[in-house]
Amino acid sequence: MRVVIAEDNALLREGLVALLREREIEVAAQAEDGDGLLRIVEGHRPDLAIVDVRLPPTFTDEGVRAAIEARRRHPELAILILSQYVEPVYTSELLASGEGGIGYLLKERVGEVRTFVDALERVAGGGTALDREVVAELVRSRRAGERDGGLAGLTPREREALGLMAEGKTNAAIARAMVVTPGAVEKHVSNIFAKLDLPATDDDHRRVLAVLAFLGAGEA
Amino acid sequence: MIFPAMPSTTDARDDGDDYEVTLALHAALAGFVGLLVTIVWAATGAGRFWPVWVWFGLIVTVVVHALGRHGVDVLEQRMRPLAFHVEVTVFVVAAELVIWALSGGGYFWPIWPITAFGALLGVHALIVNRRLLPSLRERELTERVDVLTRTRRGALDVQAAELRRIERDLHDGAQARLVALSMQLGRAEERLEDRPEVAELVRRARGEAGAAIKELRDLARGIAPPVLADRGLVAAVEALGQRSAVPVDVDARIARRLPPVVETAAYFVVAEALTNVAKHAPTASARVTLAERDDTLVVEVADDGPGGAEETPRADAGASPTGLAGLRSRVEALDGQLRVTSPEGVGTAIRAELPCGL
Repeated sequence: MRVVIAEDNALLREGLVALLREREIEVAAQAEDGDGLLRIVEGHRPDLAIVDVRLPPTFTDEGVRAAIEARRRHPELAILILSQYVEPVYTSELLASGEGGIGYLLKERVGEVRTFVDALERVAGGGTALDREVVAELVRSRRAGERDGGLAGLTPREREALGLMAEGKTNAAIARAMVVTPGAVEKHVSNIFAKLDLPATDDDHRRVLAVLAFLGAGEA
Repeated sequence: MIFPAMPSTTDARDDGDDYEVTLALHAALAGFVGLLVTIVWAATGAGRFWPVWVWFGLIVTVVVHALGRHGVDVLEQRMRPLAFHVEVTVFVVAAELVIWALSGGGYFWPIWPITAFGALLGVHALIVNRRLLPSLRERELTERVDVLTRTRRGALDVQAAELRRIERDLHDGAQARLVALSMQLGRAEERLEDRPEVAELVRRARGEAGAAIKELRDLARGIAPPVLADRGLVAAVEALGQRSAVPVDVDARIARRLPPVVETAAYFVVAEALTNVAKHAPTASARVTLAERDDTLVVEVADDGPGGAEETPRADAGASPTGLAGLRSRVEALDGQLRVTSPEGVGTAIRAELPCGL
């Protein structure tokens, strides 16, 4: 897996590079702003770009906009956004921006090295990795917004499984997180899809997108 | 037979709408009568030119007609009596001068009425002046209020900018360092697989760093949510609507970025109002309108809930104001207004008007 990094804070950029190299992930190039990101994506054709939301010169949502632009030019590029805050609006925009893998994680998750590298690999493979706080935010607004049926009809365990699915986790990962067997997870998942009236599918990625569409982020 | 066309005949028909028409008619009639009289004078063998008196009389009626309407319609309300007085005086003086000239000059008798009218006008002007123009003290106070309004707004702008700077500093400084720390602890943990008890210590340290990061994040969000700083009021309010517990329809008509202090106040008005809707009318839906009119931002959050909401009394001095009372102080500090209307059975509307500049 070859990655590029766009992060303006040298401390974080170097920390990230060191961590990835220890894990034998090739960091092809680094950039400090949005234009730089577009340049290194063009020059190095990486599998994945790790992008900070706030980048120079505006220090607002420069990173998100550059990432969406990079995606427009290279639809197969996987994007992992690292941010210091949760903003569901950005998640929706990224999910709507194309087919490739998308991740949106809080920066401190990098410290959970194994989980972080799992997420990286998932996103590079075209999957999804959403921070649990993003998912919690989505679930909260969805739950509050509905009058009947929907999430209210799920058992607490099913709701937990739904949240883990929305984070982009595979059945095996969900089983580990919930400390149950993969078979039990499959049962939860099929119950959830039946109760929420979602189209059943074996494709993990499509499954995540269906769940996210149900939660109001991105498109099915 | 000297004043054949009395103005009363035309004035009676003058109902205001066709004033121009009646005045023109009046003038035309006067012209016609003047011409007729002149013809009569010529036909009766000329002689002393007496029609000049008839012309004078006709002109007087037309001028009175014109001045009367002018006084009612055109003059500024506040100064109307005085201006009318000036016009009448000028008119009477002019008439006297004309009469004096027509009657062949001689002793300049109009000097006496002119002096009297002038004195009367002077007294009137003095009275009006004293009543309408602010005293020196008043003017000083007005200027002082202007200065205070401007400086207070300036102070609030500076404060808002400072708070955003602090938010940025937290983001780039302490928070970034903690994130870097968390990464390093994560890497250390990876290398301690053979010493699980030390790895556990490191994991706990990482947990502490994570908690500190979260606290800083919440603090920063309380100052100004990132999306407000990044994308402005409309995007931030739309984000609020999306994550609200009730369905929210946002209608925003603002094309530009407003001063930070106004954006922040408006944002918190909407946030608090939507929280209240979710709390007190969970089955309602809400509508948020943002519009800028005459340099004032109007924010309205209306719901179709049960209504009947009552504003909790202002927080005591010393206690930090919360809820609506807190919003009210925030809005009033900007010279804005906050109104809550909540008729039983109709729904609740919170409306804030925030001046955007000076």
